[in-house]
Amino acid sequence: MAESTPAPDFPVTKRRLRFFGLTSDELVQLFFRGNAMVSVLVLALITLFLFKEGLAFFGQNQRNLEVYRRAGLDYVDQLRQQEQDHTALNRYLLEVRMKAVADLAGPQGLSVEAVNQRLEAFDQYSIRFDDAIAPLRGLVSELSETASAIKTKFYINEDKRTEQRQLRAAGRADEAARVAVEEVDFAREIEPILASREVYLEINRGLSRELQEIAVLARAVPGVPAERMERFAGWVVQYVAGFPAIEQRLATWDHREPVSLLRSFSAFIFGRQWLTASFWQDWYGVLPLFVGSLMVSLIALSLAVPLGVGAAIYVNQIASPAEQRIIKPCIEFIAAFPSVVLGFFGIAVLGEFLRSVSGAAWLDWVPGFPLAERLNALTAGCLLGLIAVPTIFTLAEDALQNVPRSFKEASFALGATRLQTIVRVIIPTALSGIISAVLLGLGRVIGETMVVLLCAGNRIEIPDFTAGLAAFFQPVHSMTGIIAQEMGEVVRGEIHYRALFVVGIVLFFLSLTINFTAQKVLRRYRQHPI
Amino acid sequence: MSHANHHPFRAKPSLGRTFEAGVFWVLRSTAYIILLCGGFVFGDIVLKGSSTVFRTEFPFVNTTFLTEAPESLYVFEHDGVKREMGDREFRAFRGAEARKAEAAGKPAPEIKATSYVYSAGGIYPCIVGTVLLVVGSMSIALALGVASAIFLNEYARQGRFIRVVRLTILNLAGVPSIVFGLFGMGLFVIFLDWNVSLLAGWFTLALMVLPVVITASEESLKAVPQGFREASLALGATKWQTIRKAVLPFALPGILTSSILGIARVAGETAPIMFTAAFVVRDKLPWQDLERASDFFFQGVMALPYHIYVVSSKIPQNEYTERVQYGTAFVFLLIVAAIATTSIVLRARLRRRYRW
Repeated sequence: MAESTPAPDFPVTKRRLRFFGLTSDELVQLFFRGNAMVSVLVLALITLFLFKEGLAFFGQNQRNLEVYRRAGLDYVDQLRQQEQDHTALNRYLLEVRMKAVADLAGPQGLSVEAVNQRLEAFDQYSIRFDDAIAPLRGLVSELSETASAIKTKFYINEDKRTEQRQLRAAGRADEAARVAVEEVDFAREIEPILASREVYLEINRGLSRELQEIAVLARAVPGVPAERMERFAGWVVQYVAGFPAIEQRLATWDHREPVSLLRSFSAFIFGRQWLTASFWQDWYGVLPLFVGSLMVSLIALSLAVPLGVGAAIYVNQIASPAEQRIIKPCIEFIAAFPSVVLGFFGIAVLGEFLRSVSGAAWLDWVPGFPLAERLNALTAGCLLGLIAVPTIFTLAEDALQNVPRSFKEASFALGATRLQTIVRVIIPTALSGIISAVLLGLGRVIGETMVVLLCAGNRIEIPDFTAGLAAFFQPVHSMTGIIAQEMGEVVRGEIHYRALFVVGIVLFFLSLTINFTAQKVLRRYRQHPI
Repeated sequence: MSHANHHPFRAKPSLGRTFEAGVFWVLRSTAYIILLCGGFVFGDIVLKGSSTVFRTEFPFVNTTFLTEAPESLYVFEHDGVKREMGDREFRAFRGAEARKAEAAGKPAPEIKATSYVYSAGGIYPCIVGTVLLVVGSMSIALALGVASAIFLNEYARQGRFIRVVRLTILNLAGVPSIVFGLFGMGLFVIFLDWNVSLLAGWFTLALMVLPVVITASEESLKAVPQGFREASLALGATKWQTIRKAVLPFALPGILTSSILGIARVAGETAPIMFTAAFVVRDKLPWQDLERASDFFFQGVMALPYHIYVVSSKIPQNEYTERVQYGTAFVFLLIVAAIATTSIVLRARLRRRYRW
């Protein structure tokens, strides 16, 4: 700097204080620069700490899945799947019976005894079908006890080892030596399970013989519609045809097969179950939570986009200044509603209100109505819509405001009506701004916690999409909700705790992506030559 | 108007015009539907909540609710009279009844009461906690945010560094609040070992509103005309002197009013404080029984939003619990709404006052 070289001829020389070779002005600048760095630092720290706490999850989950395989739980689950498929068929029979009862007792007006008498042959048939599975069921329950015992033994030993290590670290070697850790030899422990294969094959042969007979008999059952029984017989044959594949799978099943880290990763991303603190096996699959979050957001946006954008167009283009002065602050005021208050409103008022509305006769045609649950995806979606509306409104209104006045004037000068101007000139020009407003609204909604936690019903299950539109009226759980709900109850450093952090990572990057896309869309619009 | 009928360029009613009017009505209705929904939520909570908070006789405000800690509510029938009592009152009553019975030589009467947690008493500790959280976190956020904005608006030249900073600020604004909660838990609660404390909550909330404060401050700094700076620099002032004397005084009102919106956000958020600062219940007020002054910062507090979450999800809905639920929601909504309204009104007024 010029001041640093002494200029004795100059009449006014000003000496400046210097710290570490910096003038006070430069120091001030440095201070401010440091403050500006804080936000960069915060974003970096968020990433760092989410990964620091979360990343170990994949190793732990790999271990979790490995034990699942080593201890034979995987093997037993395949048998159980077979048993459950049978149960599903059984449920169909029950359904057939219920329909038959409704037909007989309803239009034909038969008494309960008469109906039961008519269906006696059918009931015999169902009982026979149900009994067929009994040997397999017995085997499954026997084997699951064995597998469960192996797993428990393994984890007890793990705990003991941890205790031993802690004692050693604390310098109490003699106490540590006294802790009896007994190595679990999976190969030996699992033998009874593998040895059961012969028994299983025997049971399977009997089962398939019995079921084939049952399938043939299906048509001859009196009292129920033949086409339903026909369908049932088809399914049974299909079910039996699947047996060799299961036997094949079990024959090649090897408990020593390694579980890769990739498997642990995909079990999280594509896992369809989030099951914790279970007696059998814990699953950490993010899919049901992700689907829940997405579904609630979709409902919210389908309400908020038309309302928010419509109101923005109205306020910006059509409303009188007096109206503008009222509507704009009021919508800004809605933005200040705390989400927990909205969540409470959902529990106290909206849930019941929606349910009673859905019970109205003229809404019968909507699938899923009347609502079975007070708190479901719809309740949460409506409230989230109210949260998203101010965001979308404000940003879309900004975008409309930024359309140059001359565009509008030129359009009017060409003889266009107001509606034509709005639809053909104003909206296309502001479109990217509106799209980015919608995206930011989506970001706001997906990251919202309290409303979904309180109002979405918190059922961790992928909604039944075969029900069509009714899927949107089922209770769901969300990524934000699960963190808020379970974080308080987990042990630090355990797999469950880390799984929640990984859900946080997913959420973090999801919101970054949405935000980034919104900015990209907006920037393209700015570069657009006007 | 009669003369309009003779107007030669008078718009003739046509299908197009009717259609246009129809579309405009649809758009108008969207705006009013939003207001209606917002008004309905607000009105419902105000109507049902005000019966808890206000009284028909002097002093017109339910002082118990606003100045006492939450208690369990006991509902029971005694001597054919249905009574509702808070925890302490109930104990005293039971003791008195037992003594009365003893004096009469009868065995102590058994009182079968149904209890509802948090449904009696008040929400004073929650109000205190929320105020503490807001004051602390906003101080931190304002200090950091205004300084950042000064750098971005006054010192920075276009460059890579500034682009990165602006991009992060934009992205930080979109990070979900629950992720801030996780981050605060990971950094402050666990890594720095502050435990669930006021300090951890302050920093978590402050970092969460930082983007809001920075954006608001920058906007106000931008509104100060360039001529002010040039004139000051021409008089020989240094850059810092210019900022201090010629820019900040004019920007400060704007910064503060816009930041009030940040206060509303801080006060309203629940997710970030769930794991960093909030306790479900705490007997002592933050300044009671402190061994050292520093303990003040390392204690958890009760907070209004978290209390609403607790009372609305952890206790059943019925006529006894509804009172405290609606009352708390009402007080909270009123506080946040007052802050937001102040911000909106002040900002509108400020825009009119400073027109350079």
